[in-house]
Amino acid sequence: MSDTNHLPTPRVSPDSAPFWAACKGGQLELPVCATCKKAHLPPGPVCPFCFSDTIEWKPASGRGEIASWVEYHMAFSNRFSDQVPYLVVLVELDEGPRLVSSIRDTASKDMRVGMRVEVGFEELKPGLIVPTFSPIEDNANGDLI
Amino acid sequence: MKIDAAIAGIGASKFGRGLPDSQMAMGTVAFKKALEDAGLCREDVDGISIHQGSPLGVDYDRVASALGLQLHYVNQSWLHGRFVTNSLQHAAMAVSCGMADVVACFTSVSFSRERAILAGEGDHEANREEGGSHGEAPLYGLESPGSGAAMAMQRYMATYGVTSADLAAVPISIRSHACQNPAAIMQNELTLEDHQSARIVIDPLRLYDFCLLSDAAVVVLVTSSDRARDLRQPPVRIAGLQGIQAGREEFVFAPPHLGIAQQTFAPTKTYDLANEAFEYAGATIKDVDAFYTYDAFSPLVLFSLERFGYCGRGEAAAFVQDGRIGPGGSLPVNTSGGLLSEAHVSGWNCIIEMVRQIRGQAGPRQLPRSEVLHWGTPWGDSAILTPM
Repeated sequence: MSDTNHLPTPRVSPDSAPFWAACKGGQLELPVCATCKKAHLPPGPVCPFCFSDTIEWKPASGRGEIASWVEYHMAFSNRFSDQVPYLVVLVELDEGPRLVSSIRDTASKDMRVGMRVEVGFEELKPGLIVPTFSPIEDNANGDLI
Repeated sequence: MKIDAAIAGIGASKFGRGLPDSQMAMGTVAFKKALEDAGLCREDVDGISIHQGSPLGVDYDRVASALGLQLHYVNQSWLHGRFVTNSLQHAAMAVSCGMADVVACFTSVSFSRERAILAGEGDHEANREEGGSHGEAPLYGLESPGSGAAMAMQRYMATYGVTSADLAAVPISIRSHACQNPAAIMQNELTLEDHQSARIVIDPLRLYDFCLLSDAAVVVLVTSSDRARDLRQPPVRIAGLQGIQAGREEFVFAPPHLGIAQQTFAPTKTYDLANEAFEYAGATIKDVDAFYTYDAFSPLVLFSLERFGYCGRGEAAAFVQDGRIGPGGSLPVNTSGGLLSEAHVSGWNCIIEMVRQIRGQAGPRQLPRSEVLHWGTPWGDSAILTPM
């Protein structure tokens, strides 16, 4: 049994608090610049592209593609010792920013850079709700490579 | 003002795994050997530059008090191996502008004893809001420093059609160098079969794609060119330096534009090579006799070769085949065995190997020519060492 009690708690700051609050409501939200309209991660106090101070939190499409992935064949901590081998993915959202997450119901032999995924939410431990992704049949933006 | 600095002395402790000595004890051995090498005494050292503090290493104040030093210049940076050039830069700047006469770059690390801080519950830094310093995301089990290198390599493989067997040429070649170095921890040749049959740790990386978790110390003494000329050894000139590159296009373990972290993805974009260190040294990569890099994970060698223009984007896996980076190759890489096979002294084992090669003191592995040696990392910093 993996030791979920020892899962770390995300380091929430005033800049990233809206991200985690939205997760609790089952929404993926991104900080979007009111001036240049670009979204960015990790959340910061200004737009890293145009340096504007005006950031608005907006719901994301929740869709994206696998930018990369790895599979752990050894656990580096007790929290994952009963889960090996397990996958970790880097998702590129359709809005542009990338985030690390997990993927559901997928074997490593089926993993592919560029595959389309959609967000869902998972309660890792009481009160800790995080984004996770599942493959979808959707080729909206075409393959990455 | 120009950098006018040289390496005048080098010293190392025994390199091993599970060594009984404290970091301070290993560092003291390396420090005394460096003083002996240079023909200097303890009182000549008035500065220290350090980047591996406690608990992996020791902090500057502890070094000063334990060794009875009287310092008036110290530099200590974030506890990571990526700051080798940074540490050398601070030493070179300090002696060039007269803030110190002799600066000891002091690195002593016990990775085997302190491995609990590298991943898992002990790795508090992994919970940074930006993600861990190597891209870790512990909520999802993306743990340990190899995480970012594995993530970058998977995408590199998919983008350029590279395989694990192609990557194997890196640890195999670097192991061949180690076999010519009695101080290296690993002394047996590594075969492709060994590499491919070894366990997968973080797919796509296998056991031999990871460096050693070792215990070791290295001290490098930096002084002005004038002072170095009067000392015991032929001085090694710090001919060119450039700092760490940082920004949204950068990720510590991926080349720019690979699409890791928040980098843009541009599969055919050529790099802005930013080789100021070569301009500073009055050299080009065509002059380089051997290349030295931070081979904590074998993909980093590929990424570094591309970053500095030894080959084009996506070409490094082909470039490293057929012994090209091994002993006798056209571009030997990490001739003492690097972090993969000599020891993980955060890259300082490579720096002292460069010094030995330039002095002509590398014994059976002495390069036929060692006029321009290049240290460069995947995160873009560089140091060019030459004879004075």
